[in-house]
Amino acid sequence: MPTLEDLSKCVIKGNVAKTKKMTQVLIDEGVFPLDIINKGLIAGMGVVGVRFKNAEMFVPEVMVAAKAMSQGIEMVKPLIAESDMPSAGKVLLGTVKGDLHDIGKNLVGIMLESSGYTVIDIGIDKSPDDFVQAIKEHQPHIMGMSALLTTTMLHMKDTIELMKEEGMGHVKAIVGGAPISQDFADEVGADGFAPDAASAVDLCNSLLN
Amino acid sequence: MNTTRSYFTRASFEANQTIHWEMLSEDHCEEIFMTALELLERTGAEIHNKDAQDIFERSGCWVEGARVRIPSALIEWAANSAPSRITLCDRNGNRALRLETTYSYFGPGQGKSFVIDPQTGARRKPVKDDAAAAAVICDALKNIDFAHSIGYPTDVAEKTADLHVFAALLNNTTKPIVQTIRGVEQAQAILDMAAAVAGDLREFKKNPFFAFQIDTEGTLVHSEETLAKVIFAAKNGAPFIFNTKLILGETAPDAPAGALVVALADVLVGVLLSQLVRQGTPVIAGGCFTIHDQENDMLPWGAPEVSLAGTGMSNLLRYLRIPSFGFAGASDSKISDAQMGLEEAFSMLHMGLAGTNLIRGCGVLEYGLTGSLMMLAMGDEIIGMTRKIIQGIEVNEERLARGVIDAVQPGGTYLGEEHTLAYFHKEFWWPTLMSRGRIKDWTESGSKSLGERAAERTMSILKTHQPEKLPDAVAAKLTEIIEKAAALN
Amino acid sequence: MTIRSNIKANQTTRMNVLTPDQCQELVYAAEEAMWRTGTNFHDEESLEIVKKAGCWVDGERVRVPAHIFEQALKTCQKHIVLCNSRTGARELFVEGYNSYFGSGPCTPFTRNPFTGERHRATRQSVGWATKVLDALPNIDYAMSLGIVQDVPLLISDRHEFEQQILNTDKPIITVCVDQWGQEDCIKMAEIAAGGEEELRRNPFICLYAEPISPGVHCREAAQKLVMGAKKDLPTIYTPCIMAGGTAPATLAGVMVQGLCESLSGLVLSQCTREGAPFIMGGVYTILDMTTTIFSYGAPELSLLLAALADVAHYLGIPMFGTAGCTDSCIIDEQAGIEAAISIAMTNMSGANLNHDIGYAEQGATSNLDLVVVCDEVLGMARRLTDGIRVDEQTMSLDMIERVGPGGSFQDECCADDDFDDDMDEDDGPSCACGNFKPRLINRAAREMWEKAGGKTLTQAANEKVRDIINYHEPEPLPKDIAAKIRNIVENAVGHMPGED
Repeated sequence: MPTLEDLSKCVIKGNVAKTKKMTQVLIDEGVFPLDIINKGLIAGMGVVGVRFKNAEMFVPEVMVAAKAMSQGIEMVKPLIAESDMPSAGKVLLGTVKGDLHDIGKNLVGIMLESSGYTVIDIGIDKSPDDFVQAIKEHQPHIMGMSALLTTTMLHMKDTIELMKEEGMGHVKAIVGGAPISQDFADEVGADGFAPDAASAVDLCNSLLN
Repeated sequence: MNTTRSYFTRASFEANQTIHWEMLSEDHCEEIFMTALELLERTGAEIHNKDAQDIFERSGCWVEGARVRIPSALIEWAANSAPSRITLCDRNGNRALRLETTYSYFGPGQGKSFVIDPQTGARRKPVKDDAAAAAVICDALKNIDFAHSIGYPTDVAEKTADLHVFAALLNNTTKPIVQTIRGVEQAQAILDMAAAVAGDLREFKKNPFFAFQIDTEGTLVHSEETLAKVIFAAKNGAPFIFNTKLILGETAPDAPAGALVVALADVLVGVLLSQLVRQGTPVIAGGCFTIHDQENDMLPWGAPEVSLAGTGMSNLLRYLRIPSFGFAGASDSKISDAQMGLEEAFSMLHMGLAGTNLIRGCGVLEYGLTGSLMMLAMGDEIIGMTRKIIQGIEVNEERLARGVIDAVQPGGTYLGEEHTLAYFHKEFWWPTLMSRGRIKDWTESGSKSLGERAAERTMSILKTHQPEKLPDAVAAKLTEIIEKAAALN
Repeated sequence: MTIRSNIKANQTTRMNVLTPDQCQELVYAAEEAMWRTGTNFHDEESLEIVKKAGCWVDGERVRVPAHIFEQALKTCQKHIVLCNSRTGARELFVEGYNSYFGSGPCTPFTRNPFTGERHRATRQSVGWATKVLDALPNIDYAMSLGIVQDVPLLISDRHEFEQQILNTDKPIITVCVDQWGQEDCIKMAEIAAGGEEELRRNPFICLYAEPISPGVHCREAAQKLVMGAKKDLPTIYTPCIMAGGTAPATLAGVMVQGLCESLSGLVLSQCTREGAPFIMGGVYTILDMTTTIFSYGAPELSLLLAALADVAHYLGIPMFGTAGCTDSCIIDEQAGIEAAISIAMTNMSGANLNHDIGYAEQGATSNLDLVVVCDEVLGMARRLTDGIRVDEQTMSLDMIERVGPGGSFQDECCADDDFDDDMDEDDGPSCACGNFKPRLINRAAREMWEKAGGKTLTQAANEKVRDIINYHEPEPLPKDIAAKIRNIVENAVGHMPGED
């Protein structure tokens, strides 16, 4: 029988098929479902996160590892009450209205997911209304907006203002993108800014703790 | 990824397997070669070595005093007789550098008077230990292919300096060595040392791990000493570099084509002599060129003309199928700055693209005066970039990725594709010193310039890298040879 | 008379990454991608245009039948000239293997040359940058080197253009925020040229739009391209691609993805108006998998763009390239290395109109010191690409004979003929014998260099930048024209992106 450690290794290697197979075996063997997630799947992903920071692993590898982990989690999920599901927090991500550039936002999503966050990506070209609707629906802890252009970044302020009007002040708003700076984030009333995907994770961690 | 089910093939498809770059056309190479032949037949060269004069005379050259005029047929014979390829091995006899066609290998140059102390950053006279340090760095740097001292030691007797350098290089790296020599006496001792390492001379000749560098006086003049070294190397069948150094507008015409005519005429004399002494002697021909910068009254090593004429020379030697030697990676800057970076990169890119077989000169600043291991470490990175470029773009069905493009769809991302995972490692060049951090990361890690990072890397290599040492018995033998040579008068 | 036949010469150096066969293969692969997968156009008018021309439109997705692309290839204008904005003199021939160089646009940040402070670009910083570009002999045209951000952001492009036209008579490549901005900029250019037809006859501006990889033409880009075609003004369409992120990780795959985007832009341009001048371009590079930056210093950038130049030459379409930029946050050894490699490669590849000189910090911050450093590198690269002239005169056989073994050629050389210590800024980049004559690169002996202050190249470059800003006077724009342009800037109306 594979151990939880084997499962972690499988995630680190980014072997999606084997991760699923092993998860199934562990479930069948009656291993405590939360252990499979925490000590197997997420533990593996934790190693990946550290290695990425140390430049020992790279984005595409993180990506497949995250994929392996989340597919494993999907299999265990039905066995656990939703309230017991471990999550570092829920983050909603989107690119602002008029902007179709999304690679940065996608990278942030990958990094957050691999750090244990639940990520809801609402996509590109999202108006303040779209963001507010999505927040209502998903109830995230954090809402992140991206923009690549100095023109589209102006929409960030509108969105944050609308959120406040709608009484969503408890949801932390974070912003990022090439033309964004800490000054700009302060100016539009955001709760935080991160210059890259890895620091976005640190930012979320600090906002929620 | 190919979506066709047919077993089709295609025909008459011409591909560049590597990047293709050319300065002189084949016709022009021929023309310059012919002109050099005419020059040697008409003007000839000054041969200040009696043995060489005799050899030339016996072979049908016209000798009048020191002036030797050479029939074209003889040069053509020699150019053919010299091997088109030479393999330099590592110290253990493993075949390492294929000096043929357009394989390019890079190595350090030697500061004429100073080195930068890697510990203190101060400029000082070179010592014996600098050769050892250079060897350790060369051994550790992946893209540096051969070893060479970055300075000529001043703390040992001049007579044995070459031998000390050679011993230090041998003992601190297994990479092939390019070795300069003061005279025949030193050449003999060095050959003895090589034989000691290989077991005997015969073993060394089978798998030679160093080449002599013999610099001639140039402008159609070859000294007594220079040709004595050539005769020595040829007699012993030791591979050697025959290199001419010309200053455009001073010791050669200022038109690069004219300088190439002179350079070719210079090196062909050495090639001919070696082939007359012993047919098939492995000889690597080379030319280093600079200009006379009138404004500063200096001979710059970072000028574009260095690469321009150097590339022309490489093209010519490729045409003649003689392994080539060239010069790149030096700077006229007095310190580590943007000028040093751009001059080093500029010359190394071009000499690499030209397909020069042995490229010496990396890590020398201050117009050739000062050797720097830090600059050599930066050179390692430049070679990495240059090689990525030279390799060109591989175009095939898998790499065209038509299926992947269709699978990802507009607006999608390639980040998680298996194709990306399979290829990103091998298709990308991975920097080791270049900074790609965003300003926040770069600031947080100390706001260091490349020069500072290179210095750190150099020190860390010197502290931690453990090259494969020579067996004690062999090392002792080398010391013995040096002592014996020192005792000779 | 001695004559001969059948001699092939390289008048310049010659470089190809790809053979014609390989270029053809890449173009066919891109054609296949345009046909099978297609690209998205987020613009109603563009969808109408290509649909009418016979493309298959499915929602936003446009698939291009091969014959329409091949027709577009035939009709686009191949001979593109950019002119002097004051005189209309025809200056840049953006065609064949001619290589011109200039700065890059749109960096959010810049470094103040006097204080070293990194700040958002302003009207002043763009004005200064343009002055520097105007003064440097190896810089052929101007791009803004910063988004003006001390004005309402939605009309920053009008301010940018005003600063540019005030401070240089070199051709300008203008990057507008949207179609309305481009309309205003064209209006300003027409005023400067003396009318719509004059501008079309002797265009001094070049328009610029970029698709979003992979395969998306956003509304602003499509609209700008359509307007460029309608106005018959040269328009650059240039995807910024990162291998492994917005394109396949394989370099050949990057080529296909990039070509597919550029060439579907070509289709839109030619379907809008046959014969519209179109320049295909690119910043093709890698996504650095460690830092996730879009690398401006990677060797892959130079390699991919040299390959793109091969394809552009194969297709006969003018090309917009990239060089003179760095990932380094300061102008250090790394900036020197990356600038040297990218400029040398680009110049040898014969890409036509090359931008991004002065980009530091992965394109986030413009740096004028780097522009001056690149001006030097360009001198070197141009000397080298010029190659070796081989003929009876240059081979100097008679001179060599006359001088004899061991002799000196010093008195034989051209350099002494009219060597003049007073050579000033107006002299060409090389001396009489054709050698590169450095202006800032320091070749002096150490003692001399120390006496002169022992400066790094970057310090010397910075001094030069300050000197230009303080003392250089660009060819003035006539006052009445400047006033009319001011009027347009003042009356400009911004449009929120994503809204009509």
